[in-house]
Amino acid sequence: MANMTNLYDSSKCTACRACQVACKNWNQLPASIKPFKGNYQTHEDTDGDTFTIVLMNEVDNAASGVDWNFAKFQCMHCLDAACVKACPKGAYTKTEWGATIHDPEKCIGCQYCTYACPFGVPKHRKREDKITKCTLCADRVTAGLAPACATTCAPGALKFGDRDQLIEEARDRVNYLQANGFPNATIYGINELGGLNKLYILTDSPDKFGLPVNPKTYGTINFWQNWVQPYFGWLIPVALGASAVSFITTRLMADKHQEHPVEGGHE
Amino acid sequence: MQWIPEYRDDVPRVERFTWLARFTHWGHTVTFLLCLFTGLILFLDGVNWLAAIFGGYAGAGWVHRISALAMTALIGFGIVFGFKGVLIWIVDLLRFGFNDLKFLVLFPLEFFGFKVNVPPQTRFNGGEKGNSLVTPIMVFLLMISGYIMWFPGYFPASLVRVAYPTHDIAMIFATVMVCMHGYLGSFHPGSGESFWGMWKGTVREDWAKHHHAVWYEETYGSMAGEKPKTILGLPVFEEYKSKPKDAE
Repeated sequence: MANMTNLYDSSKCTACRACQVACKNWNQLPASIKPFKGNYQTHEDTDGDTFTIVLMNEVDNAASGVDWNFAKFQCMHCLDAACVKACPKGAYTKTEWGATIHDPEKCIGCQYCTYACPFGVPKHRKREDKITKCTLCADRVTAGLAPACATTCAPGALKFGDRDQLIEEARDRVNYLQANGFPNATIYGINELGGLNKLYILTDSPDKFGLPVNPKTYGTINFWQNWVQPYFGWLIPVALGASAVSFITTRLMADKHQEHPVEGGHE
Repeated sequence: MQWIPEYRDDVPRVERFTWLARFTHWGHTVTFLLCLFTGLILFLDGVNWLAAIFGGYAGAGWVHRISALAMTALIGFGIVFGFKGVLIWIVDLLRFGFNDLKFLVLFPLEFFGFKVNVPPQTRFNGGEKGNSLVTPIMVFLLMISGYIMWFPGYFPASLVRVAYPTHDIAMIFATVMVCMHGYLGSFHPGSGESFWGMWKGTVREDWAKHHHAVWYEETYGSMAGEKPKTILGLPVFEEYKSKPKDAE
């Protein structure tokens, strides 16, 4: 099955945050009330009860004064996801259509994924000691529906569909934007981290939208998961094996040379 | 076949470890093993049967944390109340010299049961000096990285990401040392007597003379009571060129 995903178009988004509300509604998430920080962004980051937020980036622009760059932010459902690797319990799985699903039954709240994620998306829900994050509404999608956020989006900034088709649509849209006042317009998510299962049409470079330019899996996490976990641990069975061999050879040699009694060692 | 050398109270014995050292050692053993087996559950990517022994994953998590707290407390207790002993230990480590190097070279042969002529050793032989260096460093790293992983919100995210592989690597090296230490201090025919040094506090006098000649002579033998040569308060790296006479 082809990858199914959301295409988010920042040039159409009005930051109404209906997607945030629809997400809370469908996933039955309680309100997460945050103090006012002097701007219009409701939440600084995702949290245990908030799977998606709209980033409201105020960026200086010599021509227009200030650009107000909106970006819907949530789990990117990376095709090669660091959380899947880092989770010691195998609580993360990829669906055949590209969603990264987290199973709270398996989760033990260790938060390795929170720190392994290049976007820092999975968040700890303290009252349950579990991690939570966007599910790409896998329950809706498997029932033939679009995700709650894409269904509710009034200005049509979110579109759910086949990833390859959406990439084609995004290319056309970016070409149009580049020819009509947004020379830096770009697509985000095609190749980042080996491909994200969330696509963005951005009217400017990703850093102007609070998204990492060319994100990478952390070196410490790669070293930990690709080297330490699979290989270093073998030192322990080697030590145990050497001890077992020694246990036998020391006794065999002591039997062979009777002048060398076992209990006395080499006295 | 004999598992560990039998405890003999019909021969002269000398004190090797104080009550405090033994209490801290065995307390550390229990808490380390509890941490190890509860930690392996996650290191091996979710071993359900091992988790079940500790009452599931949440239970194992709490055993891990409580054992870690107990281990921290024990180490603190040992350092505070056994400060003099820790200093004696460190001073002995600083006496690392040619005889310790020779020991380390010959040790693999001795380990598998070949007969070798090991030069006289101080209170801790070359291998024990290595263990005394590696294990505490690894346990220190385990403690630091462990508390960072327990309370990640209080530390920079990049430090948390360093703590994950650090905790694993330190666990692996500490466990390798513990495996070797546990085997050598019990089932190995040559050094098994040292088990009684840590369990009952005393070892056979002839074993002490043979395995730790320098320590024996300085503590109980001909040189007992003499102050070791020091420069600026540190013991000189003085080695015995030959075995003291009565050790033969």
